[in-house]
Amino acid sequence: MRRRTFLKGFAATATAAFAGPLVVTDRTIAQTRTIYVNTWGGSWTAAEEVAFFKPFTEQTGIRVRTVAPVSYAKLKAQVQSGNYEWDITSITQADLLRAEREGLVEPVDWTVVKKEKLFPDAVYANGLAYCALGTNLAYRRDKFPQGGPKSWADFWDVKKFPGNRAMLNNAVRTVQFALVADGVPVDKVFPLDVDRAFRKLDQIKPHIKVWWTQGNQSQQLLRDGEVDMIVMWNARASELQQQGHPVELVWPGATITTTMWGVAKGASNRKPAWEFLQFAVQPKPQADFANKLYYGPTNPEAFKYISPEVSRQLPTYPENVKVAIKPDTVAEADQTAKIQERFTQWLAS
Amino acid sequence: MAGELSGAALRPETAVRGASRNATAWLLIAPSCLALVLLFVVPVAYVLLLSVTDPRLSLAHYQRIVTVPVYTRVMVNTFVTSLIVTALCLVIGYPIAYVMARRADWVSTLVLTVVAMSFWTGFLVRTYAWLVILGSKGPVAAAYGALGLGKSPQLLFSTFSSTLGMTHILLPYMVLALYAAMKKIDANHLKAAASLGARPAAAFREVFLPLSLPGVVNGSLLVFVTCLGFFVTPVLLGTPRDMMISQLINQQIEELLAFGFASAVAVVLLIATCAVLAIYNHYAGLDRLWG
Repeated sequence: MRRRTFLKGFAATATAAFAGPLVVTDRTIAQTRTIYVNTWGGSWTAAEEVAFFKPFTEQTGIRVRTVAPVSYAKLKAQVQSGNYEWDITSITQADLLRAEREGLVEPVDWTVVKKEKLFPDAVYANGLAYCALGTNLAYRRDKFPQGGPKSWADFWDVKKFPGNRAMLNNAVRTVQFALVADGVPVDKVFPLDVDRAFRKLDQIKPHIKVWWTQGNQSQQLLRDGEVDMIVMWNARASELQQQGHPVELVWPGATITTTMWGVAKGASNRKPAWEFLQFAVQPKPQADFANKLYYGPTNPEAFKYISPEVSRQLPTYPENVKVAIKPDTVAEADQTAKIQERFTQWLAS
Repeated sequence: MAGELSGAALRPETAVRGASRNATAWLLIAPSCLALVLLFVVPVAYVLLLSVTDPRLSLAHYQRIVTVPVYTRVMVNTFVTSLIVTALCLVIGYPIAYVMARRADWVSTLVLTVVAMSFWTGFLVRTYAWLVILGSKGPVAAAYGALGLGKSPQLLFSTFSSTLGMTHILLPYMVLALYAAMKKIDANHLKAAASLGARPAAAFREVFLPLSLPGVVNGSLLVFVTCLGFFVTPVLLGTPRDMMISQLINQQIEELLAFGFASAVAVVLLIATCAVLAIYNHYAGLDRLWG
């Protein structure tokens, strides 16, 4: 028995039995309604609050509560157990595809979502695309007066570019960087040649000081000069630049990961959830989000509300997309589990 | 048993009152028992079940733990690290607790305040403090520079920094456990030893040390068991090679969605912890853990 479904059913019966002629309009229901969103926390959630949640509540009266951080494991656990902590999850495209295959997300409710209000490619694997995140090579300008690393091959070149290095503890991204470092063109990275990638990774492993896991950890490492070059999420590096740190961001060979909204299978607030998602992918909210936090809008119309200086720093800016690794979500979703397992063992050995 | 029965036969009213008191007692502890069953026994049983049924009924997960070298290494590493941290806490904590217990002036108050403050400061804060202290712009690196020793060695993100961080975080537990035991030692015992001709060192060795042993055992147990499940500090200060059991469990669930294997690892951790507690119970008695 699903607790929330049960409670709702009970409430409806009780209302019918005792309230009698009391008329409950859509508007009054909306005022008391709350949707729960699973998101990444920190500055990410703060930007969402300003760009999506507050304006949506103002427009519809539906409140938005957040739960952080994003957890695929919890999504699976709550669908299996029927105990829901959230209705909507923020999730990477490849993970959403895995979730769709496992039956963990609701299909798009076309009675709520209007096709003509969406941009092309908005819908993927039953979710809506809402922003894109770059995972880039970043370095400290002050440590390389003759010019810093410009590619993954340079990152691997410890003779030409000596210095401390840190990488993101993420198997699928790391494998892609290794392949590009080994000479694979950015549009031929998929399907991933995993053996080749790990051979290349063996070369760099002794030179990696930290395998970071938290976004603010990566900022601390670069800000305090603990490392000279690092794999980093683009908006995190831009934040350091805004704070006045001499940080340089490299776009060639970066990965661009589309982040999606999905609705948990069987969640109780499905209709308001889809209403919210449609709202959140509109040009203005997307631009507001990107202006606050430099992750790129998926809706091309959003660039109208973003200055050219900011646009250039966003992962979905056409010039950046051109030099980045060409993603293949299906291949990534297929290979992720295996690569992660191998990567985990590789790191610990 | 027979005596009880005959007693009840002689004074039936006492037996009835005893029975009703018994029932009241059961009623009073029923809510906490229920909470324990629902919040502790059921989830643990579920983890046990998952470890042999997810994705299908087999003991394959356990087999994997003992056959894949990486996992065996994580297990061994967790125990070795916990032992080292416990030993370090004991060596550092004993003199501190000794000063706190034996002196009754401002020194003991000061030391107690410092230990308590450290105890109440969040462990995440203390972990980050080490990132600053051992960092390349921190005081240790600066001292190296000032002394003309050149560049300081790599301190952060090593087995050393991870062990240091865990020792620092668990030290207050050890000190407080030792302090509780030492405070109970009657100072007259040491005076008696001295009056019988024992030098201070001999009095300490023959009288104080044996009497403080319960504190040593309690403190070591607390530190060791807590250390077995340590998570954040080794992640932030250590290297992937120093992975502890909890990191492995987290990784299996969050990244690989391997609920079954993660459950099996958790069960091994649980069994190990219970084994340590059982050994303690056999020799010391669990009811003495908190003094």
